[in-house]
Amino acid sequence: MADIELTPEQKSLVLMPVGEPRTVFLEGPAGCGKTTVAVQRLLYLLDVGVRADHILVWVPQRSLGWPYVEALRRPTIPAGARVDVLSVDGLARRALDLFWPVIAERAGFNPTQEPRFLTLETAQYYMDQVLEPFIREGAFGDVTVSRNRLLSQIIDNLNKAALVGFPHTEIGARLIAAWNGPSSRERVYEAVQRAANAFREYCLQHNLLDFSLQVETFIRHVWPQSECRAYLLRRYRHLIADNLEEDIPVAHDLLREWLEQAASALLVYDQDGGFRTYLGADPEGALALGERCDQRVILDKPFVPSPAVQALGNGLAKQATGKRPHPAEPLPDATQLEEALRFVEGHFHTAMLHNVVEEVLHLVMDEGVAPGQIAILAPFVDDALRFTLMTEFERHGVPVRSHRPSRALREEPAVRCLLTLAQLAHPQWEMCPPRNDVAQALVQAIAGLDWVRASYLTEIVYTTKEHRPHLYPFGQLQPEVQERITFSLGTRYGDLLRWMEAYMAAPPLPLDLFFSRLFDELLAKPGYGFHNHYDAAAAAAHLIESVRKFRWALDVADVDELGKRYIRMVEGGVVAAQYLRGWRSAEQNAVFIAPAYTFLAENRPVDYQFWLNANSLSWGRRLYQPLTHPFVLTRHWPPGRRWDEEDEFQAGQTMLRRVVLGLLRRCRVRVYLGISELNPRGREERGPLLDWVQRMLREVALTPSPSPEDRG
Amino acid sequence: MFRPRRGQQEVLAYRGGLMGVAAVPGSGKTEVLSALAAKLVATSLDEGQEVLIVTLVNSAVDNFTARIRRFLREEYKLLPGMGYRVRTLHGLSHDIVRERPGLVGLADDFAIADEREARGILEDAVYSWLRTHPDLLEMYLSTELEEWRVRVVAKDWWPDEACEVANAFIHRAKDRQWTPEMLRSWLLLRDERLPLAEFCIDVYADYQRSLSYRGKVDFDDLVAYAITALRLDKDYLGRLQYRWPFILEDEAQDSSELQQDLLALLAGPNGRWVRVGDPNQAVYYTFTTANPRLLREFLERPEVQTVEMLESGRSARPIIELANYLLDWTVNEHPLEEARLAFRPQHILPTAEGDAQPNPPDEECRIYFHPGRLTPDGEIRTVVKSLAKWVPAHREQTVAVLVPDNERGFKFAEALRQKGLACVELLNSTGPTRDTAGILEAILMHLADPDNPKRLGPAFLAWHWRERVDKERYLYLTRLSRLLGKCMKVEDYLWPRLGVDWLREQDFSEDDEAFALLAEFREKAQRWHKAAGLPIDQLILTLSQDLFDEPADLARAYHFAVVLRDYSEANPAWRLADLAQELHVIARNERRFIGLSAEDTGFDPERYKGQVVVATMHRAKGLEWDRVHLTAVNNYDFPSGEEIDRYKSERWYVRGDLNLVAEALGQLEALRPGGKPYVEGEPSRKARLEYIRERLRLLYVGITRAKRELIVTWNTGKNERDPKTPALPFTVLRTYWEGTASKKFAALSPQKDEQKEKGGGTHGP
Repeated sequence: MADIELTPEQKSLVLMPVGEPRTVFLEGPAGCGKTTVAVQRLLYLLDVGVRADHILVWVPQRSLGWPYVEALRRPTIPAGARVDVLSVDGLARRALDLFWPVIAERAGFNPTQEPRFLTLETAQYYMDQVLEPFIREGAFGDVTVSRNRLLSQIIDNLNKAALVGFPHTEIGARLIAAWNGPSSRERVYEAVQRAANAFREYCLQHNLLDFSLQVETFIRHVWPQSECRAYLLRRYRHLIADNLEEDIPVAHDLLREWLEQAASALLVYDQDGGFRTYLGADPEGALALGERCDQRVILDKPFVPSPAVQALGNGLAKQATGKRPHPAEPLPDATQLEEALRFVEGHFHTAMLHNVVEEVLHLVMDEGVAPGQIAILAPFVDDALRFTLMTEFERHGVPVRSHRPSRALREEPAVRCLLTLAQLAHPQWEMCPPRNDVAQALVQAIAGLDWVRASYLTEIVYTTKEHRPHLYPFGQLQPEVQERITFSLGTRYGDLLRWMEAYMAAPPLPLDLFFSRLFDELLAKPGYGFHNHYDAAAAAAHLIESVRKFRWALDVADVDELGKRYIRMVEGGVVAAQYLRGWRSAEQNAVFIAPAYTFLAENRPVDYQFWLNANSLSWGRRLYQPLTHPFVLTRHWPPGRRWDEEDEFQAGQTMLRRVVLGLLRRCRVRVYLGISELNPRGREERGPLLDWVQRMLREVALTPSPSPEDRG
Repeated sequence: MFRPRRGQQEVLAYRGGLMGVAAVPGSGKTEVLSALAAKLVATSLDEGQEVLIVTLVNSAVDNFTARIRRFLREEYKLLPGMGYRVRTLHGLSHDIVRERPGLVGLADDFAIADEREARGILEDAVYSWLRTHPDLLEMYLSTELEEWRVRVVAKDWWPDEACEVANAFIHRAKDRQWTPEMLRSWLLLRDERLPLAEFCIDVYADYQRSLSYRGKVDFDDLVAYAITALRLDKDYLGRLQYRWPFILEDEAQDSSELQQDLLALLAGPNGRWVRVGDPNQAVYYTFTTANPRLLREFLERPEVQTVEMLESGRSARPIIELANYLLDWTVNEHPLEEARLAFRPQHILPTAEGDAQPNPPDEECRIYFHPGRLTPDGEIRTVVKSLAKWVPAHREQTVAVLVPDNERGFKFAEALRQKGLACVELLNSTGPTRDTAGILEAILMHLADPDNPKRLGPAFLAWHWRERVDKERYLYLTRLSRLLGKCMKVEDYLWPRLGVDWLREQDFSEDDEAFALLAEFREKAQRWHKAAGLPIDQLILTLSQDLFDEPADLARAYHFAVVLRDYSEANPAWRLADLAQELHVIARNERRFIGLSAEDTGFDPERYKGQVVVATMHRAKGLEWDRVHLTAVNNYDFPSGEEIDRYKSERWYVRGDLNLVAEALGQLEALRPGGKPYVEGEPSRKARLEYIRERLRLLYVGITRAKRELIVTWNTGKNERDPKTPALPFTVLRTYWEGTASKKFAALSPQKDEQKEKGGGTHGP
């Protein structure tokens, strides 16, 4: 079973006889080995003969289920054993598939037709159509927000209603009741309500189930059905629920009832978590589940952070208004600070980035730190930041990867390349990409092709005739032109063109299959741009999955029509849904560049963290979303109370505390704060994070150092 | 580790209340003020509070910021960048107004007209007024001028002079917070005619209308608005008083009334306000609304704790001796009684033994007054010749030629370059042209059309935009850019393949630098090519991080990025070429996008060892060099009130030696109800005295820039018919140096120096 060393405390939890006690609530700060216990408990259950299909590992989102998925891939696990690792929407989806004929009519759908499940992207696609008349009439008046954000915020409202468990028809009223500004906004919230209603109507009419309807239908129509409930309870008799603090209220409701019947249950709760509060996570609701369990265990000795990093966390968390650490928690002394906290500075943002790169190179080259043990984190990772860091590390041969889940698909160069090639391979769509896009696609697709030759080649070979794009073969070019492009690159271009011609000679495939073939048969091969290019490969995989779900959701038989619609949707800037596969399969021993929240969601500790733009106001500040509200649309917001500046401030402090502690508990050795006097805009910025650091430093400076005996 | 001297210790012991610090040149006032700021940050602030440091120019902001950061980090182990705010007066005003623009009736997005734009508006207003009022010139024209001269004056001289007059008038009126309407109503109450005031009030009104039509304010308005906002909203004032419990003001000798009012408001009745300055280095009175009287009065106030910082380790003792002698002579013996007020009687003292910054040893010191009568060109030749010998032997030392004005500076720079000496200009009009949009446009155009050789040259020049100011250098770069224009296969240069590299095929046998520059550009261009696929805003941000390092440029580039992103979203079919074209349109209207004025960059002489810095004496303030050439010390640039002296501000074509700027300001002051009556000529006389005093201080500033060597020359001026003589202080100092002082510093006899000069010794000039 366990091939890792456990503490006696952990071991006793793992080896508890099945069902004695029946339900256990395991809590503690991050990095204390809770997930390790839960994973080992899963393996123990299998070891003692519990049927794999009787176990449900319950997580708030797919990425957090990764340690379990990985453990279940071990060769020691019996073949054929299948443990389900699901989030509440995954469970809902399974149940809906299973019980559709039973509940469809009651839930307002057409039972004679199959349900079509929507991803965030496809939900946006339909929402866009529903919203068109609203936008034309100027229903969202004084709110300046891009169309995509408009779509996503209304969808977000529906999701919040579903996951909190209030009727979606109350969205507008709740937002209006908490609004503390000019009354003109009330009309906007009324329009938001009307749009949400219209979308819901549309979904019901067309058997479309977005996230909100999946969860709502499951909770209101599947779970209450005794036969459905009995089936699920019978099927999943053993529960392991991890990261409860990141889960949504209806998931907690469901678990509360499930606990009554389960043969065994291990619930795991991270005391300082709750990073997904903006997405509806309810740490308070999660904590309440502890009272329903037979036994409550606290693991509070962190394995991950060094004592110095722990003390740094205490010192910083103390700065949050209204939060005080436990008196026993030590504050850092000057030596510990020196050990756990360093500053990487620069007058300008570029200088700071340069110094960060230098420091990382020093760690990797001089101190032998594995690149995978370094994470570079920022509140937001924009393209300029990512480009600068990625190119610098690549130049020095240091492996690097990045992940930015909430980026629009069209902004990924690899995705744009595939979409352009798709247009070129389907002239019948009569979509002629601009010359610049074709040149970019060639740069991405053909390894070694530079921007000058790509532009020159495109000028010569790319043409449009009767609204159809066309590429000339390399062989038809003048010899001097061929020489300028070089024969090796020309051959690659020729192979790409031949592949497309062969494809065009046969009937068109659905777009996702087209991408799969293009990727497998050409682009992933040596000599092409996606070969050994993890980020590009991940983006391609992501695109393929997105198109496939789009195809399922649209149910359009005409593959050409489907392809065109998909491309238009992506060009409209839809935000990609988060996919596990896209980044889990990527190179792990690489410097990781990501937004701080993404790093937390990945839940993988590292030795060294760099917090960039530490003086940015964005640390601890939520993204302003005028048409929704993550705190008002919760169970804990008192009806009728207005959201004011003080609430905003307190929410910011709480979030910053969670993020800071979350990051530090996933950091073993040291944090580097990247500070530039001027931000990329050339302005001075002083955010709350730096303010906390300064207050802590001042406090440490004024506190006499403890003697070694005291510390001991 | 900072080891404070006596005076500095007193400053560092500051706890509260009003403190005035009179510091001598090189006494380390920036250092001690930074140390005090860091100490207050570390020990005396509550939550949400900052120490406010107000200084004169942006370069000083950078300097302070860097030092405070160092203190916080090294002495207090604190995070730098927090708990303090360093601002110029305008930066501070901008912060105050920006937080509550509505208070003073400004829109949230109000913009600031930079100096160029403000000057353009002023010129429009003046020229338009002059067209309809030709009589103003007639009123002041000298009666002795021939007809043709009058025509020349009206065309070539008068418009500029009228602008100067109006400019000074508007500045002063704003400093007093007098609006055009107030002035007009006061004018109506008077019986006598005040023609210059009438002219200036009309222009002032027109100027303000034009600004407001553009939705803009100028720098003076900004300060006035800040004061108004604080007076209007006591709560806001209270909030800011809490935020800034300590105010440290540097260069207080150059403070204006507006600045003093603003800081006094912020400090409040029980204010904690430290004002540091050297009254003897007040040299901005003639050009600005700075008023050296303010600091001197402050230092005299009974409630002010006055500290003197007199020890200075900058210059060798003989140079200190000379500066002190100039002060003593002026205060006690200057033939013009009023000139004796030029200085506050305070001697520079050498540092005590064991000081961290001891004075350079006496034996390394050389002082030389060139007695010869030199023409302006002769003076340049003499100085350049001397430097041509000195520089190669002193590659590790710093040297500056200090000139009275820019024009003279350009000539020196040209002559130095012709002699093959590396030269750095620190003159007012040579700041790099910041055509941010144009630079980005050139590079975007190349990225949009990368295989076009015609786009390559402009991109190369754009990458070297900083070197535009150096004409010769720019010509060289332009030649290289033309060479790039002939590279018909761009890929063979930028992305060479095995065996085919355009760059290596070029014949640079005599010019290694050309190869290096083109190779460097290639590396940069390759990086940009990789970024070409980024969204336009991100591409611009990436490029601007490579191209710019000035806050103003970065802010502008960010603005372009946002604007182009909007264009791109509104026109999804647009690609790089379209967006670059749009940037071209923006570039033509760039002024629309300018935020705060172009920033000065901090100048560090130590970075230019082995090169000759040519600077105006004004720009040299706050800086120091091992060797300093003080030039043009004649009775025109440094008058002493003698009969033969002439004054720059008294134009040759104006009757009765009137200084029209001074007369206009006199009329302005007379307008105020209860103001002193205006007597023509009196303001000019006072201005003359003020000018004499200021030039004495400027000479003092010039002398105290030198650490080891000081060479002083004079010239006979441009007008051969009216040759200038050595300035009186030149003669006085020379006599002192060659007589009394040489006995005191026996090892450094002037004769010895002169011999070295003639013989070309390595240490002599």
